[in-house]
Amino acid sequence: MTTAATPLIELNSVYTAYKGAARPTLSDISLSIGKGEYVVIGGPNGAGKTTLLESINGMLPIAHGTARVCGYDVRGDGYHVRCRVGYLLQNFSFDPLTPFTVEEVVLMGRYGKIGLFRKPGQDDHEAVQDALRLLEIEDLAKRPIGQLSGGQQQKVLLAQSLARNPEILLLDEPFSNLDMFAREAINSLLSRLVARGVTVVIVSHAFDDLPDSSVRVVVMRDGRICLDRECKPAEVAQVIRNTGSAAPNA
Amino acid sequence: MLEFLIQNNVVCHAVEAMLFASIGCAVLGVIITQIQVSSIGFTMAHAAFAGAAVGMFFSVNATVCAIIAGICVAFLIGPLSDKARVSPDTALGLLFGISMAVAIFFIAYMQTLGQGFSAMGLLFGDVISLYREEIYALAVICIVAVLFVVVMYKEITGIIFNKRIAESVGIRVTPVYYAMLFVIAITIALCLPIIGGLLIYVWLVTPAAIALQFCYRLSTMFIVAPLVAAVVSVSGALVGLEFSLPVAPLTAVLFSLIFVVAVFASPKRKVTTIRKS
Repeated sequence: MTTAATPLIELNSVYTAYKGAARPTLSDISLSIGKGEYVVIGGPNGAGKTTLLESINGMLPIAHGTARVCGYDVRGDGYHVRCRVGYLLQNFSFDPLTPFTVEEVVLMGRYGKIGLFRKPGQDDHEAVQDALRLLEIEDLAKRPIGQLSGGQQQKVLLAQSLARNPEILLLDEPFSNLDMFAREAINSLLSRLVARGVTVVIVSHAFDDLPDSSVRVVVMRDGRICLDRECKPAEVAQVIRNTGSAAPNA
Repeated sequence: MLEFLIQNNVVCHAVEAMLFASIGCAVLGVIITQIQVSSIGFTMAHAAFAGAAVGMFFSVNATVCAIIAGICVAFLIGPLSDKARVSPDTALGLLFGISMAVAIFFIAYMQTLGQGFSAMGLLFGDVISLYREEIYALAVICIVAVLFVVVMYKEITGIIFNKRIAESVGIRVTPVYYAMLFVIAITIALCLPIIGGLLIYVWLVTPAAIALQFCYRLSTMFIVAPLVAAVVSVSGALVGLEFSLPVAPLTAVLFSLIFVVAVFASPKRKVTTIRKS
């Protein structure tokens, strides 16, 4: 569907509003992200970072503008987009009685791809094992997810996103709940995925764990993009702090 | 269907009806309790009850009216909470109140007209005066409920795990969710004449709650809950008819007792103690 020249994510003047809201949560967002890019989205709380990820993933209706992801129009083909995008939602924790093992949860990541009325096949189970191996959690496969620590649960959900071999990874606060070692391991994993051509878009407040090469930083404030530039990993925190706290378009 | 086991026709019909109703309700009950939409099931049960009362009053097919009322409520929850700007929980409360008011109004009115006996069947169920066609309908809906879970298993597990995550992985949550409500509405409506509007909720929730005390996996719950429900319901029917006791209320009491025992016997609540040697 997409060629090397066409961006994987292309938003043009996108406005998104929640039902009943007095004003749009995202206003006039234009963004183009290519294959294999590593993009950090920053900004203060309520800036619209999560809303932007959900709009890219087709989980929120776009009120105005056009959005194409992996060659599909997000408005009409949101389902096809979600089958190609791995999305890690923020702040999830599961009850100890949740009746699902880690293996079952990771397999759910394939369900959209498998489609209605079909059962998971050998390749689906192999993809699950690969994802567990990438996250180094094979030993947790048979454990109920509710009995794991917050950090382990976070890794399981990341494995779920990876299990469908996504072209794009949208990660909302992926480093929350993780210890120092896990952060380093996941950062290294993300760098490897980017090198393989996977596009990574990450919302984070933890800037210690970024790739060594320069990254693209998008800063949001009040539902608008107020900065979009390449910078060195060491500068990311300062750039976001300076831009996110300043007046829009300053 | 079970005449080769039970010679008495009345007892045979009652056992068959309880068997099919209990399996259908218990399978769907696992979904209802695990998605935590018990209030939707509760409201649909009472809407079906109101529909049946209206149908009975106007001499229209009570089961068809119950199905229509149950489905209407299922499909009204979303739009009502959107248009009236109230939470889905409040919308359910409103619909439950309206359903109960309609049901009680028509049942009370029927009693003043001397039709109280048939109206009482709607409240507490009546396993004795079932037609063979009603039992066939129960058998069909029992198979439909089981098939629905088998065919849509992965979508159902995804939605049970978390609706947002299910949506994010590409599961078509809304159509599956409404298909599920549709099957629940029909099952409730068909089970209403034998279990009764006030008791059907016990069949929907208690077997799943009992299974949850012992099962660590959802797939096991889908097997244990209908098994428990079938054994308890058939036992309730046999004991109730043998000793001339009201079958549905007796079975509901049995379910509740077994739930209490299950809570105390549950391995999930046992604390492992480590002793120093």
